[in-house]
Amino acid sequence: MRPVLEVKNLKMYYNTRAGIVKAADDISFTLAQGESMGLVGESGCGKTSVSMSIMRLLAENANIVNGNIYFKGKDIVKLNDEEINKIRWAGIAMIFQAAMNSLNPVYKVGDQIIEAILAHEPNVTFEESRARVAELYKLVGLDPKRMDNYPHEYSGGMKQRAIIAMSLSCNPDIIIADEPTTALDVIVQDMILKEMAKIQKKLNMSMIYISHDIAVIAEVAEKIAIMYAGKIVELSDAVTVFKKPAHPYTVGLMSSFPSIHGEKKKLVTIPGEPPNLLNAPDHCRFAPRCPFATKECWEKMPLYEEISPNHFVACFHPQNLRKQVSKDA
Amino acid sequence: MPEVETSNATDVVIKVEHLKKYFPVRRGTFARAKQFLHAVDDLNFEVKKGEVIALVGESGCGKTTTGKTLLRLYEPTDGKITFLNRDVTCIHSAQDRKWLHSKSQMIFQDPFESLNPRKTIFDIVSEPMNVQNEGNLKQREKKVMDILNRVGISPPDTFLWRYPHELSGGQRQRVAIARALVMNPEFVVADEPTSMLDVSIRTQVMTLMMELIHEMHMTFIYITHDLAVARYMADYISVMYLGKMVEYGKTEEIIQNPLHPYTKALISAVPVPDPEFKRKSIQIKGGIGKAIDPPKRCRFYERCPFAKDICAKEEPMLIDVGEGHKVACFLYSKN
Repeated sequence: MRPVLEVKNLKMYYNTRAGIVKAADDISFTLAQGESMGLVGESGCGKTSVSMSIMRLLAENANIVNGNIYFKGKDIVKLNDEEINKIRWAGIAMIFQAAMNSLNPVYKVGDQIIEAILAHEPNVTFEESRARVAELYKLVGLDPKRMDNYPHEYSGGMKQRAIIAMSLSCNPDIIIADEPTTALDVIVQDMILKEMAKIQKKLNMSMIYISHDIAVIAEVAEKIAIMYAGKIVELSDAVTVFKKPAHPYTVGLMSSFPSIHGEKKKLVTIPGEPPNLLNAPDHCRFAPRCPFATKECWEKMPLYEEISPNHFVACFHPQNLRKQVSKDA
Repeated sequence: MPEVETSNATDVVIKVEHLKKYFPVRRGTFARAKQFLHAVDDLNFEVKKGEVIALVGESGCGKTTTGKTLLRLYEPTDGKITFLNRDVTCIHSAQDRKWLHSKSQMIFQDPFESLNPRKTIFDIVSEPMNVQNEGNLKQREKKVMDILNRVGISPPDTFLWRYPHELSGGQRQRVAIARALVMNPEFVVADEPTSMLDVSIRTQVMTLMMELIHEMHMTFIYITHDLAVARYMADYISVMYLGKMVEYGKTEEIIQNPLHPYTKALISAVPVPDPEFKRKSIQIKGGIGKAIDPPKRCRFYERCPFAKDICAKEEPMLIDVGEGHKVACFLYSKN
């Protein structure tokens, strides 16, 4: 399968008065047509910065200093404003964090979706776009009659569904969902995730899910990238990441998550706190918190390498860890 | 109404009988309240010394209101709260209030909002002692240092004169825990204390609280929406739905053998961090509503896939189905 999206050595830095913040540092991954990928990491690890780079929705002090983002063969980094505008929403749509609050309270929900359609497809008439919104409402499980309601008349889950309908309105190839269910209750979260997975299969879209919750990602993503301090530290298919993790941070993250299924196990904590990305060091950024760190880890940055087919890890000692874990088990 | 069976009175820390908390719903600025939101409706339970109970439910189910009412941060509408064998339903004097708050404390959800930004860490943590008129400045300082050390803020003397904005989220929540524990309370209510924290920090704070609970023999009510966290923290789980307790029992019993349809749906909706595990989720209709003057019937009636005729006519009671596992559902009543 030809990838719809290919991110190559992306470096996105913020210039601040205090120094340079390396929010996304040498990020590379590909996304195939119809594939769903999860981007997992703690707050401040750069996962939102990566998605904002893909959409080219960057703050004034943010620069893409290096790298390419190929969307269907075109390099997003090099496009001018007019060209990127054509790709936004029609090519790559995004569900923003706290999307429920991103609806405008003084406009009807349906009209807000129609506005998005008309902005990108000027040839479409108002009536056609209204019919399309009705279709989208049915697709995401909302009653088309609710189009003429205002956001405050919707519940949290309904707002989220409306936002999903809006992201689908221009038939994008890729949807980036940034923490799509974080503010929702479990039962609603479950419904929304199911709905999104169903729509994705039906329309054969590519999805990037961004979340801090590995349980949510495990449910929806086929491929998982674990981010730590501006870097992807591990990337592989979901089963490999969960069953054969090779990076100590991945292992720590997995074992620090309580699960409701299976035996009740003791949680392992990762000591310390995530680093500040301001003037980040040149050595492995996980070294201060890593139980397996050696002298090498404090001197150099580990390369992001393929240790087995389609399993990328940035660690000097992935094999040591394997041995350690099997010994413990 | 089945009464709560009275066990050995000495080891019951807090006992709640028919606790109700209604909030008036006003339709206009000067209008008299004609309707009431039944945030907590007829709760009966007791917590014994050293037990950790998790109150679980979706947002709006009344779990925070319950916690705040127990600590008398809210005035209960009706019912009786007995704390350490003293009736604290009505507090008449400042002395009583002081006594209550020297023995019971609360840890709040958001450490970014629960700490006063204009006060130093020392001021924040020593405030309970200030209120209780305990010790002189030297003794207070020592106590603050000890408790900060214990919650993992070290070295404590470098933190005493800092302000909350200089601390990370995890450190702030540790300070909030220190403030709650500095008076050695018998009873603590923690309201979603880890939901605002990062994943790796969350586990640290949870582990810390577990250690402290065992070390200080505290009685704990842990309010959370996350069943996986409740499973890790609590001895007992109580599931709430629209102001009612719908199920209560030992943690593993509730997780492995949920009885109430709502508990089943809730547990089946929790995502599992294992891509190979195929979850069978129970679909329930609609979303959680609001209990504004609810009709006298099962509050889960509209959403319940197993609803019977009787569910629309009567309210189910919380009945014991064996070994302390209680459920309020007509599917399990004998007749």
